[in-house]
Amino acid sequence: MSTDGTDAADNAAPFEPEADAAPLDAAESLRIIAAQADRVRSTQVDGRVLFGLWGVAWLLGYLGLYLTANGSLPGGRATPEGVLTPAPLAFTVFALLIAGAMAATIVYSIRAGAGVQGVSSRTGAMYGWSWCIGFVGMSVILGGLVNAGASDEVIILAANALACLVVGIMYMAGGALWQDTRQYILGIWIIAVAAIALYVGLPNTYLVMAVLGGGGFFLGALGDHLVRVRDRATAQGHVGSQSASKAHP
Amino acid sequence: MTDADLDPVIHAQSRLRVVATLAALRTGDRIAFPRLQELLDMTAGNLSTHLRKLEDAEYVLVTKTHEGRKPATYIELTPRGRFAFENYSAALTALLRGSS
Repeated sequence: MSTDGTDAADNAAPFEPEADAAPLDAAESLRIIAAQADRVRSTQVDGRVLFGLWGVAWLLGYLGLYLTANGSLPGGRATPEGVLTPAPLAFTVFALLIAGAMAATIVYSIRAGAGVQGVSSRTGAMYGWSWCIGFVGMSVILGGLVNAGASDEVIILAANALACLVVGIMYMAGGALWQDTRQYILGIWIIAVAAIALYVGLPNTYLVMAVLGGGGFFLGALGDHLVRVRDRATAQGHVGSQSASKAHP
Repeated sequence: MTDADLDPVIHAQSRLRVVATLAALRTGDRIAFPRLQELLDMTAGNLSTHLRKLEDAEYVLVTKTHEGRKPATYIELTPRGRFAFENYSAALTALLRGSS
């Protein structure tokens, strides 16, 4: 085999004495296995990064919408029906935050998956496209509602509710795909928050989205962190001492 | 059980590290040679030597392909390799339990 331009292997007799033939003891072997598993995990997607990123985007983005809509910050306006709506600038900031978080998520996920092919990359690609297609479908539906004569208030509320429905379902799908209960629960949470936000009406919709929606992502990040700490402690306990393995069969 | 009962193909530091790394990937995933090298901090020549032995034992499958015009090599654990690694890990745990 001349893997990637090196023919060193071709000169090696199949059973020549090895440089690293130093005897391994069982505890050392287990330590090596745990260390490599850890190393591989450290190059995979870290849920804390993504949850944290989206938590910040939602919290700041929706807070800006809320504060301009309720008059705490300037730029908001009232529709002819007297509904308070956010400043155009706040919508721009919101859109930039969401677009930025999206771009960062895509770049981060693609980098984490670089050099690995097979089931994961096919799953990841299909999942990524599902997000994209979901949002395109949502835009088309909103366009249809505008054409049908929906008011600004209806469009604003429907846009938020539909976007959250897509996000919530995608998180639930992600939870199912990667057997990640936290992601699944976050999906349910986001759909519940979207429903509450819809019924409290403008401008409180935005406050609910900022605090409960953004907060949900932060709880997800915290949950991920706690599980990592626990897993690490378990792995070390497993390898740490030989007597421990007898105490915890 | 003694050390002598451990699978000799896996029970060598470098090959154990290679197999443990491949086993940490999802079943059905294969990894590019340079990425694997990076995860192991091994030279290309060294890694190739160990991969060849694992390939001879049918524990790993090496696939050569092209990405555009660049040749690329992907490595994955075979079902047989995964089974051997699981047996090996179980044997280690049994050894530790017996000796304490």
